[in-house]
Amino acid sequence: MLQSIKYSHLGNRRRVDSLSGSCPERIRLPAAAAVRELVVSNGPARSYMLWIDGVGAWQLYAGNAFSFGAPTFESVSADVTLQANISRRHATLHYESDHWRVSSDHLTTVSGRTVNSAAELRSGDQLCLADRVKLGFRIPSILSSSAVIDFESNHRPPQTVDGIILMVDHCLLGPTPDQHICCPDLSDVVVLYVQNGFLHCRSSLPLNINEKSAPATFPLKHGSVVDGEALRFRIEEIR
Amino acid sequence: MKFTFVPEASPLEGYTIKRAIHRGGFGEVYYALSDSGKEVALKLLNHNLEVELRGVSQCLNLKHQNLVTIFDIREDRDGDHWIVMEYIGGRGLFDELQRDPSGLPIEETLQWLSGITAGLSFLHDSGIVHRDLKPANVFRDQDTVKIGDVGLSKYISESRRSAQTQSVGTVYYMAPEVCRGHYGREVDIYALGIMLVEMLTGQVPFDGETTAEILMKHMTAEPDLSAVPEQLREVISHALEKDPDQRIQDAEELERRFRDAANAMDPLDFSIPSRKQPAGKGSPGPEKARRPKPIAEADLPKQSGHGPEKMAAVAEYWNKLPVLLKWVVGGVLVVGVLETGLVRYLTSGASLGISVYLGYLLASRLFGSKTPGPSSAAPVSQAQQPVAVAQESETVSISPVRKHDQGYPHFVVQEGQRYQRGRKLRGKEVHLNPATPRVISKRHRFTDLTNSLSISLTATFLVTLAVYMTTSLLPRVVHAVYFGSVTMAGAWALLILCKLREGRIGDVMMRRLLQGTLGLGIGFLAAGLQHYLMLSGDLLFEAPKSIGGSWVMGRVQMADGTGDPTMAAFMSFFGVLFAARRWWWQTDSFRTSRFRISSTLFTLLVGTVVAGILHFPGTLGATWALAISAVVQLSAGWTPQEERLLQQETPEAKALTGIAANMQSGKQTPAASG
Repeated sequence: MLQSIKYSHLGNRRRVDSLSGSCPERIRLPAAAAVRELVVSNGPARSYMLWIDGVGAWQLYAGNAFSFGAPTFESVSADVTLQANISRRHATLHYESDHWRVSSDHLTTVSGRTVNSAAELRSGDQLCLADRVKLGFRIPSILSSSAVIDFESNHRPPQTVDGIILMVDHCLLGPTPDQHICCPDLSDVVVLYVQNGFLHCRSSLPLNINEKSAPATFPLKHGSVVDGEALRFRIEEIR
Repeated sequence: MKFTFVPEASPLEGYTIKRAIHRGGFGEVYYALSDSGKEVALKLLNHNLEVELRGVSQCLNLKHQNLVTIFDIREDRDGDHWIVMEYIGGRGLFDELQRDPSGLPIEETLQWLSGITAGLSFLHDSGIVHRDLKPANVFRDQDTVKIGDVGLSKYISESRRSAQTQSVGTVYYMAPEVCRGHYGREVDIYALGIMLVEMLTGQVPFDGETTAEILMKHMTAEPDLSAVPEQLREVISHALEKDPDQRIQDAEELERRFRDAANAMDPLDFSIPSRKQPAGKGSPGPEKARRPKPIAEADLPKQSGHGPEKMAAVAEYWNKLPVLLKWVVGGVLVVGVLETGLVRYLTSGASLGISVYLGYLLASRLFGSKTPGPSSAAPVSQAQQPVAVAQESETVSISPVRKHDQGYPHFVVQEGQRYQRGRKLRGKEVHLNPATPRVISKRHRFTDLTNSLSISLTATFLVTLAVYMTTSLLPRVVHAVYFGSVTMAGAWALLILCKLREGRIGDVMMRRLLQGTLGLGIGFLAAGLQHYLMLSGDLLFEAPKSIGGSWVMGRVQMADGTGDPTMAAFMSFFGVLFAARRWWWQTDSFRTSRFRISSTLFTLLVGTVVAGILHFPGTLGATWALAISAVVQLSAGWTPQEERLLQQETPEAKALTGIAANMQSGKQTPAASG
C-alpha cells in the first residue's frame, strides 16, 4: 500500500505532464497539481474518460447532442472521434423530447435504412457510417434515457475504450447488464449524473473519494478516484 | 477485487497506469499509457518469478500475429519485475464464454480454433510449449486471435522434457501427464481439446468441487462428450487421450480434422445441442423434432433390467432408507431369523437360490460369451450413443464409461450428473473404493492394522455381549467366552490378511483361497477350544441334534454320534465362510461406509447357507458369521470419501496434493484469471 501511495503521487505528476503538453514549462513546476486544478476545473466539461479497475474504460459524454466524426488536427474535432474513413462531422445524435434521432449529411444508415438528413433511433439499432463503421446503439436501462454506443466493426476512437456513453440524464454502474456499465462485483447501483454543470456521483454503497469517506452524493472533479468494496474508478475530463 | 496500484501510478519510468485489467495467475495486469500515449499492458510478476522471467526472456523476440507481443521486461524501483506487452482491447475467449454460457456457434469456434492453431503451431515449431493454454489466455483484437501469457512456455528439448516440475496452469485445462511433470507439446493439444469442448458446449468436461478432484478426473475419468455434436466427438476424444502418445500430435492436425468433421456435419446440426437454451434465443424447432427422444438417467437401468441390475436396484433402494430404519429392520431380521427357527428354511431356500444362480452364472459364462450377457453390461461406444440431451428437464443422459487406457488405474466412476439449481456439477464424480489400487506406506499400514486389532477387542466384547443378552444361543458365560474368542480370532485373521493386502491389485481368487486357508485354521482353533473348554454335547449345538446322530459328507464325518460337529465340520465351515465373502470389502479403508448393515446381513445369510450345506449348527454358524462381519467392520480403519484422494501416496496423488495446496493458497484461481 505504501508503494502504491508513493507511486500515485508520482503518477499524478505524470498525468499533469501529459495534460499540459502544450505548455512544457509547467511540467517542472513543483505545485503542478494545484495549477492543474485551476486550469482544468475551470467550468464544466462535456466529455469524460471513465477508467474502472477490472471492468474497462468508457468515454462518457454529457449533453443532448453528440457529433461523430474522424479526428482532425486543424480545427475542432467532433465529440466522438473514430479512426475511420468518415467525414470530420459525419453524423450527430440528438436527444429531444424523449426521442433519439440521428441527423447526417453523409452516407449513414440505421439498421439498414438510409438516413435522409434525419432518422429516429431505437434501442438495438445498428448505426452504420460510410458503409463501414458499424456502431450499436442501445438504451440499456428503463430508468434512464442515456444511450450506450458499442463498436461492432473494428473502428475505434484513437484510444481504446470499451464503449461510449451518451449521457442525457444518468449513467448507471451496476451489477446487471441493464445498467450502462456492468460491474459484476458491485452489489448496488452507482449513479453518475450532471448537476449544475458538474458531474456528480450518488450511491447507497459506502464509497471513498480520493481515499476520503464520501457522502451519499458528491461532485467529481478531474482525477477523482472513487473506490468502494468492489469498485474503483477514476474520472478524467477529456477537455 | 483490490489491486496494488492506484490509477495514475507510475511504477515504471515512462508509463502511467490508467486502470487495472485483472489479476491473473501470475500477477496483476494493468492498462497503462506510455508518456507519448502508446497503450500497453503491464504485468506485475509477484509469484513464480523465476519461472516466468526465464520463460518470458526466451520468448521476448518471438514474432507472430497470433501471439501477444512482449515489448520488454522491466524492473521497477522496488526490484519488482514487470512485463510490458501489447494491449489487446477486444473481448477474450474467457469473456465470450462467460457471455454465452451455452457455448459458441460452430463458425465462431472455428475462427477461434484457427487463430489458436496458427499461434500454437508457431510456438511448437519454435520448440516452445505454452503449458498454460486456457480461454483466459486467448484474446481477439480486431478479428485477430492472439495467445497471451507465452511467458510460461518452456523449451521442450528432450533433456528438459521432464525437468520442469513446477505445477502451473489452470486445472481445468491441465493434461493428465502434467501431474507427473511431463510437459510435451501434447499438453497444449489437450488444453485445446478441453477448450473446444467448452466452446461447443459452454462447459468444461472435467469439473469438481476441489482442484484435486478435477485433476483426478483428468487422470482417470472419461470426458462426457454427450453434449458435443456426434461428428466431432471422435476428434475431440482423440485430442483428450490420457496417454500423450495416443493423442493428436500437432495443432494443425487437430484443426484439420475438426474442420473436416464440422464440414461433414448436417447444416442443421450446426447449432450445438445445449442443455438449456438461454432466454431470448429461439430454440431450433425442426432440430428438436429430429433429435431422438431424450433418455433420462432413470431410463437407463430399465433398458437392461436383468439379474445383477435388479440386485443393484434393490441395494439402491436399501441404501436410500434412513439409517435408523435400516438398523431397526436389520435388527428385527437378525433376531427373527435366529429366534424363530427360520434358519433351516432360510438355509434350504437360500442354498437352492444360490445353486440356481451359480448355475445361471456358469451357463452365461459358457454360452453367453458371444452375445453380451447382462453381467458384462455391454459398453456402448460413445459414438453409438444417441445425442440424448434433455432440453427442458434438468437431467442429461450419460454415455457409459469406456474402459480406461491401459497403464492407468481403474477407478469406479459414478455415472450420472445433476444440474443443480444455481450450480452446475460437471464431469463425473470419482469414487475411490476398495478396488482402487494405491500405495500405502509400511508405517501407515502397520498403524492402521494395530489400531484395527486393538479396536476389535472392544468390538468383539460388545458384539458377544449383544448376542449373549439378546439371544438364547449362549446359555452360560463360558459359551460367551468361547463364542467371543473364536469371533475375535476370526476377525483378527481377516483383518491381518486384508489390511496387509489393502490397496494392492491382486487376483480375487487367490485372495479368497488365502482367506479360506485362514478359515480352516480358525475352524481348527474353534474345534480345539471347544474340546479344551469341554463344551461338547452342550446346548450350544442344539440344532443339528434334531437332525440326529452322526452325519457323513463323502468320506468326511461332519457330526459325531451325539450330533456335535467334528473338527472337519468346524474347519470346513470357517474355510467356506471365509472364502465365500469378499472380506476385504468389509475391512478396507475405502469401503463405502464404516459399518454397512447390508454387508452384515448378507454375511449372516452366507453363514446360514454355508452352515446348512455343511450341516454345521445353523444358528451358531449364522451368528458367528454375523459377529465376525460386525467386528471386522467396526474395527477396521476407515477413511471418509473426501479424505481418500489426498491420502493416497501414489506419485500422482503427491503431485495432486502439491498442486491443490498451491491452488488453495490463492495463486491460481480460475475465477481470478478472467
